[in-house]
Amino acid sequence: MASAGSGDEKAAAAAMITLISSDNEKFEVTEATATLSQTIRHMIEDGCTDGGVPLPNVTSKILARVIEYCKKHATAAAGEEGSSSSFSDAAFLEVDRAFLEELEEFDDAFLEVDRATLFDLILAANYLDIKGLLNLTCQKVADSVKGKTPEQIREMYNIVNDLTPEEEAEIRRETQWAFE
Amino acid sequence: MRARDAASSDRFPPDVLFNVLLRLPAKDLCRLRAVCRSWRALTSGDPLFAAAHAAAHPGPLLLAKFLDDKSSIYVADLSGNVLKRVADAAGGPYQYLLCRSLNLVCLASDWKRCWVLDPATGAVRVLPESPAVEHVNLVNLRDPYTSFTFGRVAATGEHKVLRMFNRPSFGKGHQQLFEVFTISGGDARWRGRQGPGLFIDKCSGVVVDGVVYFLMSRVYDDSGSGIRPDYIVSFDLGTEEWRRDLRGPISSSNAADMMGPFYLRRDLNLAGLNGSLVLADHHDRRTMDLWFLPDFENGLWVKEYHIQTGSIIPRLAGEDRLKPLLVLDDGRLVFYLAGKGLLLVCDPTTNSFAKVNTRGLDSVGVYTGNLLS
Repeated sequence: MASAGSGDEKAAAAAMITLISSDNEKFEVTEATATLSQTIRHMIEDGCTDGGVPLPNVTSKILARVIEYCKKHATAAAGEEGSSSSFSDAAFLEVDRAFLEELEEFDDAFLEVDRATLFDLILAANYLDIKGLLNLTCQKVADSVKGKTPEQIREMYNIVNDLTPEEEAEIRRETQWAFE
Repeated sequence: MRARDAASSDRFPPDVLFNVLLRLPAKDLCRLRAVCRSWRALTSGDPLFAAAHAAAHPGPLLLAKFLDDKSSIYVADLSGNVLKRVADAAGGPYQYLLCRSLNLVCLASDWKRCWVLDPATGAVRVLPESPAVEHVNLVNLRDPYTSFTFGRVAATGEHKVLRMFNRPSFGKGHQQLFEVFTISGGDARWRGRQGPGLFIDKCSGVVVDGVVYFLMSRVYDDSGSGIRPDYIVSFDLGTEEWRRDLRGPISSSNAADMMGPFYLRRDLNLAGLNGSLVLADHHDRRTMDLWFLPDFENGLWVKEYHIQTGSIIPRLAGEDRLKPLLVLDDGRLVFYLAGKGLLLVCDPTTNSFAKVNTRGLDSVGVYTGNLLS
């Protein structure tokens, strides 16, 4: 790939997208960043992004985090595309590896949020159809649930047990094998 | 209200729950049915969730009976993780598991008995022991030596069991008796069927696409009968009739005459892989050839694999029979080393074998059902 010159920058500047959060805050992002969201990608393809993309399900606080994630990962995606033509280049692979490590560190730091924020990020990633972000955030919650007993889950997540004692006894009888 | 205004809540909104639970193994999900109603609703019988979960966990699942627990049937993955145990379903040491890529398990014994289990629900259907009306006077009921094969008829979706009485009445006529039973059919009886006219090897049966294939009995090995060791007969579970006989790849080829007496029935095994009938040939003991028959009608065999087995088993003895079980999406092959109760994953491009980390296996099959359904 040629190095990113001023021509590229101009092209990128021409393809800016405005995202509008539920509380009416506007975010300018590049098309490359925005199209990590399949939902927005389809909107762009259908030509309905003029005047901004309203996202009534996403608050400005969450949208800012989502954009932060997309910016970082859009750079990564661009790097991958470039690498396909020269993937035998050892120096390039070395750079690639360092970048992937950096990305992993970014993801770990990104997940250091409270539970409500994490859930909102999942909802936003689901609505915007951002596969990487959905996977990252859901896996974090899934890991916290894995291997736990129903009692532990209820306590961790303040879930009220609305099963009758009879229903719960029946479930436990049927799924006894899963407690071993 | 809560779903829309989720920012203020640390409870699970429905979309979050769906996406998170999708990423958990089936065993965790079954245990967590006891959390509350919404968790139970999603993880037991929600068709949308069950389908999404199956798509997110595409790896093949195995049905297994382990040597150290002969009373249970297990569903496990290829990493050796147990996803489910169905207790008291395996019937003890004399029942073996008969299943080739189905959502039901058939458990069978040498002693007339056979039942069918749905591992997802635990439901068991016990098949009658008494022989078909036509066979009542032909079977030696004091010593009924039986074998079973189990398959699904694609056209109707029916599951059928083919039972064979292999040690019929004393002396006269020495014949093998065949009968068919339809699971979930209204008629809860065995129906007698004609035999193929040759003695078949009761242990050789495999089912591919609703047809049971058998190799011939080893009695023909030295008899000068002219019956080649790779001669194959097949029974269509749909029409319940025998099909025309089939020549195997070895006697079909020009080299047939050179095989001579060294080429014996015990060097050959049948399997069903990728929807094709497969003949596994390890007559030279250090390698295995896998011949595929993509199309029964034209009878053309294709040798798709030539695998060096010497690295994992120095010499294949009769009891250490290596049976191909399935082909993974990435092209690797899963073998069952019956005598040792081991599963091996073979990468045919490098000829390397890796052991699957499981307890010793008594018998094993492939499970295609959905534990969350």
